[in-house]
Amino acid sequence: MSDEHDRQDGAASLEIEVEGLRKTFGRREVLKGLSFGVPRGGFLSIFGPNGAGKTTTLRVLATLLTSSGGSVKVAGHDVREDPMPVRKAIGFISHNAMLYPDLTAQENLRFYADMYGVEDREARITELLERLELSARRYDVVRTYSKGMRQRLAIARAVLHRPRVLLLDEPHSGLDPRAVDILDGLLTEIRDEHTFVMVTHNIAKGLEWGTDLMIIEGGRIAYEHAADVDHESFSAVYREHVHDGSVL
Amino acid sequence: MSGWSQFKAILRKDLIRELRTRDMLVSMILFVLLAMIIFHYAFTVKEGADLTYFTGGMLWVTFIFAMLLGLNRSFAQEKDEHCLDGLLLCPVDRVTIFFAKTAGNLVFLLIIQAVAVPVFALFFIERNFLGDLLPFLIVLALADLGICALGTLLATISMNTRSRDLLLPILLLPLIVPVLIAATGATTLIFAEGASFGSLVARLLLLLGFDAVFLVAAWGTYDFAIGE
Repeated sequence: MSDEHDRQDGAASLEIEVEGLRKTFGRREVLKGLSFGVPRGGFLSIFGPNGAGKTTTLRVLATLLTSSGGSVKVAGHDVREDPMPVRKAIGFISHNAMLYPDLTAQENLRFYADMYGVEDREARITELLERLELSARRYDVVRTYSKGMRQRLAIARAVLHRPRVLLLDEPHSGLDPRAVDILDGLLTEIRDEHTFVMVTHNIAKGLEWGTDLMIIEGGRIAYEHAADVDHESFSAVYREHVHDGSVL
Repeated sequence: MSGWSQFKAILRKDLIRELRTRDMLVSMILFVLLAMIIFHYAFTVKEGADLTYFTGGMLWVTFIFAMLLGLNRSFAQEKDEHCLDGLLLCPVDRVTIFFAKTAGNLVFLLIIQAVAVPVFALFFIERNFLGDLLPFLIVLALADLGICALGTLLATISMNTRSRDLLLPILLLPLIVPVLIAATGATTLIFAEGASFGSLVARLLLLLGFDAVFLVAAWGTYDFAIGE
C-alpha cells in the first residue's frame, strides 16, 4: 500500500513521463523503447552520438513527430491523444531560431503571442525584449540580426507564453563565447520556473545544468544517472557506452 | 485563444511578409504580363482576327501558371527557415493553418488578377463587357477559391519532398482540370456573348461543387498533410 502511494506520488510529480517510446521512419527503427521520467523542476541532459535518436525524442515530446509506439505524457497530457494542452505547456529552443527573417523582432513576437493567446501581449514582449537586451533593435527585421541575437530572440519566442516545460535542442550550437554567456545567464534566470530537457553534445554544459543525465545510443538508453559525477568520470562513462566516443 | 484570432495572425503575418519583400507578387505579376504580351503577338498573325473565343483559355492558363509560382514560394520560407516547426509547435488546429494559408494565397491571386484583367481586356476584348462584370467576378471568385484550396493542400504535401518545385505542378494540374474547364467556358461565354446567369448556371454549380470537394478534402486530410 505504501509502495503504491509512493509510486502514485512519484508519477504525480513527474512533468514528463515516457514509457516504451518507439519511433520508426519507414523500416528504420530510430527509437527502440525508451522509458524515462523528468520530475517537475528537473533538468534532464541527454547526450549521444549523431543519429542516436536524441533530437527525435525531443521532437516527439514537442508533438512535432508522432510516436510509433509507447506512451509519452508531458504536463499530464498524452502527446498523441491530447496534443493541444501539451503545445501550450512547452517551449522549444533549437539551434534553428524558427523566426521569420522578413519580420521585425516585435512582429515575430506579436505573431507568436497571438498564436498562443498571450493576454498581456505588449507588456510581455517589452519585458522580454528588455530582459534579452534587444529593445533597441525591436523594429529591425530579423534578417539583419547576428546569430547570437537571433538565438536570444528565439528564447523570447519560446518563453513568451510562460511554458512549464522547456525543450532545448543543442541551444549552444554555433554561438560565440559572448552569446553562450548571455544564453547561460538567461537560463540561470528562468531555471527555477521550468522543467528542462536539453539535448547536447557539450558534456560540460550538460553537466553544469543537468540534475539528471542520460546517454542515448542506437535508439536505446545506454546510461542514466543523477548529475553527481564530474566531467572526467562522465567522459569515461560516455566513451564506454558510445562507440564513436568523441567528447567535448 | 480562438481559431479566428489565430487565423488572422497567420494571414496578417503572411501579408506583411509578402508586402515587405514582394518577391512572390513581383514574379507573379511579371509572369502574367509577359504571358499576355506573348499571347498577343502569337495570336495576332492576321490583322483583325477574332480572338474572343480564345480569351477564357488564355486567361485561366496564365492564372494557373502564375499561381504555381506563388504556391511554391508560399511554403518555401516556412520550410527553409524552420518557421514551420515554430508554427506547428503553437496550439493551433491544423485546419486553421490551412484556411489562413488559403486566404493568403487567395489575396495574392486577386491582386494579380486586379492588375492582369484590365491589361487582358485592353489586348483581347473588343466589346464593352462592364455590364457583365458581376457574373465574371463570381466566376473569378469561385474558380480562385478552388485553385487556392487545392493548391494550398498540394503545396503543403509537396513541401516535404525533395522535388517540391516539380511535384506541385504534376499534382495540381490534372486535379484542377474540372475547375479550369468550367472557369474557361464561363469566362469565354461572358467575354464573347455577354452570357446571362441562366446560361452559366451549370458551370457555376460545377465550380461550387469542386470548391466544396476541395475544401472538405483539405479539412479531412490537412492534419496528416502538414505533419511528418
